[in-house]
Amino acid sequence: MPTYIFIALLAPFIMLSSVTYGASKLPATVKVNPEALTSEPMCDPVIAPSWREAQEIEGVKIEASPVCSPDNPAWIAAAVKGTNNISMDTLMKTGLSPDAIIKTDDIDGDGDPDRITIRLEIMELNGKSPDFPGIVPTFDIAPGIQPGAWVFSPKMSGMSTENFESIRANPLLRLPSPVIRVEVGDIVQIVLENTHYFPHSIHLHGVDHPFAHHEHGGQDGVPQTSEIELMPGDRRVYQFQARQPGTMFYHCHVQTHTHLAMGLAGMIIIEENKPNNWLQTLNIGAGHVRHPSVAVREHYDQEYDLHYHAMDKELGQIIQRHNDPRLIARDMNQRYDITDSTEDYYTLNGLSFPYTLRESLIVVEPDQKIKLRLLNSGGELIAIHTHGHHATITHYDGVEHNPVAQIMRDVFDMAPAQRLDLKLETVNDGKHSYGEGDWLIHDHREKGITTNGMAEGGSMSSIVYKSYLGESNMPKVSHFGIDLNKYFTKEYYERRLPVWQDLDEWSSLGSPGEGSGLEDKTQTSLIYGVIGLLSGLMFYWIFSKRKSITQVMLGTISRINASKGSNQ
Amino acid sequence: MNRNILSLLIAGALTASIYAVAQPKDTINDEHAHHDHSNHSIEQHKEQPTDQNQDHSHHNEHQHSSDHAISHEHDHAMDHSQHTTHSPEHSVSGADDHHHHHMDHDHIMDHEGTMIMGQNFDKLPSSCQSISEEVEITVRAGRKYSAKFPGTAFAFDQQQWKVKPCSKITWHFVNEDNIRHQFMMHGLPKYLYKLGMFHLEVTGPKTVSGTMIVPGKDETFLVHCDISHHMEKGMKAQLVVGKGGTDIPSIPGLTPYNLTDTYEAENLPKVGDKVESSKMVRQITQFTSDNLQTYGMMLIGILLGLLCIPFIKGILKLRKKTENNN
Ligand SMILES: [Cu+2]
Ligand SMILES: [Cu+2]
Repeated sequence: MPTYIFIALLAPFIMLSSVTYGASKLPATVKVNPEALTSEPMCDPVIAPSWREAQEIEGVKIEASPVCSPDNPAWIAAAVKGTNNISMDTLMKTGLSPDAIIKTDDIDGDGDPDRITIRLEIMELNGKSPDFPGIVPTFDIAPGIQPGAWVFSPKMSGMSTENFESIRANPLLRLPSPVIRVEVGDIVQIVLENTHYFPHSIHLHGVDHPFAHHEHGGQDGVPQTSEIELMPGDRRVYQFQARQPGTMFYHCHVQTHTHLAMGLAGMIIIEENKPNNWLQTLNIGAGHVRHPSVAVREHYDQEYDLHYHAMDKELGQIIQRHNDPRLIARDMNQRYDITDSTEDYYTLNGLSFPYTLRESLIVVEPDQKIKLRLLNSGGELIAIHTHGHHATITHYDGVEHNPVAQIMRDVFDMAPAQRLDLKLETVNDGKHSYGEGDWLIHDHREKGITTNGMAEGGSMSSIVYKSYLGESNMPKVSHFGIDLNKYFTKEYYERRLPVWQDLDEWSSLGSPGEGSGLEDKTQTSLIYGVIGLLSGLMFYWIFSKRKSITQVMLGTISRINASKGSNQ
Repeated sequence: MNRNILSLLIAGALTASIYAVAQPKDTINDEHAHHDHSNHSIEQHKEQPTDQNQDHSHHNEHQHSSDHAISHEHDHAMDHSQHTTHSPEHSVSGADDHHHHHMDHDHIMDHEGTMIMGQNFDKLPSSCQSISEEVEITVRAGRKYSAKFPGTAFAFDQQQWKVKPCSKITWHFVNEDNIRHQFMMHGLPKYLYKLGMFHLEVTGPKTVSGTMIVPGKDETFLVHCDISHHMEKGMKAQLVVGKGGTDIPSIPGLTPYNLTDTYEAENLPKVGDKVESSKMVRQITQFTSDNLQTYGMMLIGILLGLLCIPFIKGILKLRKKTENNN
């Protein structure tokens, strides 16, 4: 064997073995220090604890709501009595405009007001500012998740942020658009004051409303059929007197494919006409109805409004990219292609897990009947699964299902815009309920439990029995050794926190540290060295064999020539 | 044999190198992604602390103001009788004939949410010996005033007002839209103005008036509407006292924006395009007639070729015969 071949074999072996030696020493696990995380308290301490208690304000009975962030009781009192029938003191605690909810005239003489005027404004959340490189006013649907959004909001007074120095949205400005509750026969006027910089409208999906109104003009909200777009700075009145009860839907019908997904969608519930039926006209933030209607109280122990929604991250980013309304209009109307889009954020009552645990828990006790009203305002079918329970579907799209034919399920599929009324019975019989616990309620499309693809997130929440509620009014999971704290960090949703790092003491599934025994750079340069050496050897080999190679070449050429010659 | 080993080695080294090159690339991407996030978090951080500090102070102050309202001797309950005939049309007409509900001496609100906050008729700022002049300024607010500033949605009729130090100003705020607007001034001395604010708010079309006294120094005060994105979309101005201080940024037509959008040429339809497209039509017709010609020629060619077949066959046969003869 010639020496050069021996060298050629030896050198790469030495170099490669050094590389493989480095690779055999795998990097150590790097555990993220909890101190490095922007941890939020699981329950927001800003809320006054007294808000959770059963109480009476302005003569309005308000049910207890033992969750972390219950509704402001002053909001409920104002919604039940009307902002025109409460003291200035209570009104000041709401932040509502004094003309936000006007209730007058007991027309049918049954003890409750029948002329209801609701004023809604349109507000932007998480939009671009020309003054600083941030967004304003901010509304987080989950830790660090601030999608650009628009909402119908109850007419308020004062600042859109908490105060001048803060960029956080006033609590009245939030997702979802508020739930509206009125009675069959009420003369309802929804006054839309378009405070937003784009044209909008209201379409009353499922609500019995005339196509047009002699005083107010077009009423169906559709710029292609009944009315022109309501321009910024203008006001329009939508008037109706509903003849049928049911869980319905309202949304903007201007450029619906973007405006609905941006958040201009809410539940509107027509309640049965009953005597002394003072309704909670607005359920701000949806969720627990702390002052249910007479009809609901007759048949149920509790009532919850569950508004499921979905948002596309890229759509929301348009209002964070531009400040000029013309550029936003261009990108939304002409450049955004919904047929190429995907939904990224799944929300229940405007929030994603873990924030759903703060305000959208369904807190139950054994042997209760709970009315759940569900709306899917997302763009795709959803499939809500109630762990530990089968519930009965009583109404589809606001219309009662034949009581004899009503069925029980544990997965509730809902097409876009669909509403379902469910009767959840916490009877421990192995069918209605399997017993007490902290039972998940979630969209069973697996992406529905993610936030921008990051689990655990999305619209999931819990049906929690009171015995499973902890002191912080969050589900009591610590006795199972469960720590939910990691979800209350924005780093988790930035995908920077290894999900399983705390499952055992030595973080067997934590994050591997960078590099190996050899640094990546040295490893690469070594391998390049090997390649260089080998190519050098090849050139040497060609050079040493050049005589035989040229002979072979000449041979082939002559052969070709010869064959040509033979042809001739 | 040796050659085979060598080539195997080369192949092995190449795959290893590809792997090695791919690995660091991944980590680089990761670092990049993290970097982006950390940038983001820094931005957020800047806002968060002030935000939370303010949170609490705001809460206290809010609490305080409502306490104050309760302790006041006036009847704070809303006048119910006013609302019996309430309808949106009623509020549109909006004659300012309702009596105001005084909550305290510097916070007045009526049943439609018309609001005057931080009003000051007589308390002199410490920098003033006396009131230098009394002025009345009318400020109009509405969407139509944004027309002269492309890329805005709402605006005041003027973007700047100038007054002498220690002026007593009565502002007449005329909201010409059918929604809420605010005339909100910030940065005033806090010992005279709660939160350093003077604030008029009204749902239009309607006017609200309020009086205040400016301090004795040269200073420039921000005036804006705080309804979500009204300031960002144009409803922003400044009050210059004396020679004024630093300009407020991003006032339409007056001061530069801190952050500007990027504008690119767009492929908008133009009248010229129409002429060109009609030319295009002509070209297409010409093109198709040309095609007809070529196809026609091709057809003739094919026919000729078919006719020629027997002749060619004949020639080939002749050649074969001569070859055989050779
Ligand atoms: Cu819209
Ligand atoms: Cu405004």
